[in-house]
Amino acid sequence: MTKKEIFKVSAFTENSVWKQILGICSALAVTNLLINSLVMGLGVIFTLALSGFTISLIRDLIPRRIRMMVQTLIIASYVIIVDLFLKAYFPEISKSLGPYVGLIITNCIIMGRAEAFAGKNSPLDSLVDGIGAGVGYTLVLLLIAFIRELFGFGSLFGIKVLGDWWQNWSIMVMAPSAFFMLAILIWIINSKSKKVG
Amino acid sequence: MSEQKKNFLDSRIYPVLFMIIVTVIFVGMLATFYQFTRERVNLYQKEQLNITILQLFDLPTERLESNFQKFIQAKEKKNLKYYQAVKDSVILGYCFPISGKGLWGRIDALIALTPDLSKIIELEIIEQNETPGLGGRITESWFKKQFENKLIISNEVVQAFELISEGESNNDRQIQQITGATASSKAIVDMIYNNVKLIKEFGI
Repeated sequence: MTKKEIFKVSAFTENSVWKQILGICSALAVTNLLINSLVMGLGVIFTLALSGFTISLIRDLIPRRIRMMVQTLIIASYVIIVDLFLKAYFPEISKSLGPYVGLIITNCIIMGRAEAFAGKNSPLDSLVDGIGAGVGYTLVLLLIAFIRELFGFGSLFGIKVLGDWWQNWSIMVMAPSAFFMLAILIWIINSKSKKVG
Repeated sequence: MSEQKKNFLDSRIYPVLFMIIVTVIFVGMLATFYQFTRERVNLYQKEQLNITILQLFDLPTERLESNFQKFIQAKEKKNLKYYQAVKDSVILGYCFPISGKGLWGRIDALIALTPDLSKIIELEIIEQNETPGLGGRITESWFKKQFENKLIISNEVVQAFELISEGESNNDRQIQQITGATASSKAIVDMIYNNVKLIKEFGI
C-alpha cells in the first residue's frame, strides 16, 4: 500500500470511531466545545503518530509477552509530553480540558493501532497510519462538537453565532447528547456506505 | 540471526532488561521535558496568582511586579498564609488561598474578605477539575459574582449559603446552583464555609 492509501484507510474506510467504535469515551467527554475537541484531536494525532512510529521502530526487539507493557509506557510518555506542553504554552486550554488530556493514555484507538498496525509495519507507514487514524478521530470529534456547541451554547469556537433569541439546549452540553449525535452519525455513515457496497 | 542472539532474545532475563532500558529512556526523556517546561509553568502560575489577587481588590494589574509590591503584603500566621491589600494606608481587605473537595478532585480558590472579615469581597477559582461544561461552570463569572458582598460572618457565626435553582432570584443568603452540577455547586459553598470557619478560629 502507498502512504496515501494507508492514510485513507485508517482515516476513513476503517475509521476508528464510526467503523471500529473505539475512543468513544473521550468523544463523549470533550465534544461540548469545538476548541476543546480540536486540541484533544491534535493531542491524539501527535500521540498516535509518534507512538506508532516508536513502537514500529523497536517492534523486532519487543518481547512478545511484555509488548503491552512497553506499548503503554511509550504511549503514556507521549501523552505526558502533550499535557506538559499544553500546561506551559496553552494554560487556558489545558485548564478547561482538565483531566481529559491525561486520559488520552486510555484511548483504545492508540493501543489498537499499536497492536494492529505498528507492530507489523515499517516506522514510516506506522507514522502515516497514526496520523490517519488521528485525523479520522478528530473529524468525528469536530463534527459532534460543531452541533453540540451550536445548540448548547449558540456559539462556534467560542464566538456567538446565534442571537439573544436563542435558548441554549442544556442537554447538548451534557454527555447524553453526544451519545445521540454519535449514534446518528454512525447511522448516516453506515447507510451511505452500504449503498456503495 | 545468529544462534547466540536468538538464545538471548528467548531467555528469561531479556524481557526484564528490555523493560528496564525502555523505562529509563522514556522517563529520562520526560524528566528532561518537564525540566524544560517547569520554569515557564511556575512563572505563569505565579503571575496569574498575583494578577488574580490584585483583581480581587480592583487594583491595577499593569506593571504587575511593582503594583503587587506596592499594594499587597504576603503574611503568615502559624500555618495560615494570606495577603493583605493596602491602598493609601487604608486596609482594603484580606485575601486567603482556600481549597476544598470537588466532584473529581481538589478545588483551589482565592477569597477576598473585608478588613473585619464579615463580608466576601470577591471569589476566584484558581484550579478545578470539575466536568467541563457542567461543574466546570463554577469558573463562570455569573456564578462567582453571586458571592460578592455577601455577609459570611454575622454575630460571630459563620453563615452557610442555601442553594437554589439556576435562574431563580436569590436573596443574600442564597446562591443559584449550576443546573446539572449540584455536587460542584455544593462543593464551593462548603469550601467557603469550612475555610472561613478556620480563618475565624485562627483570627487575624
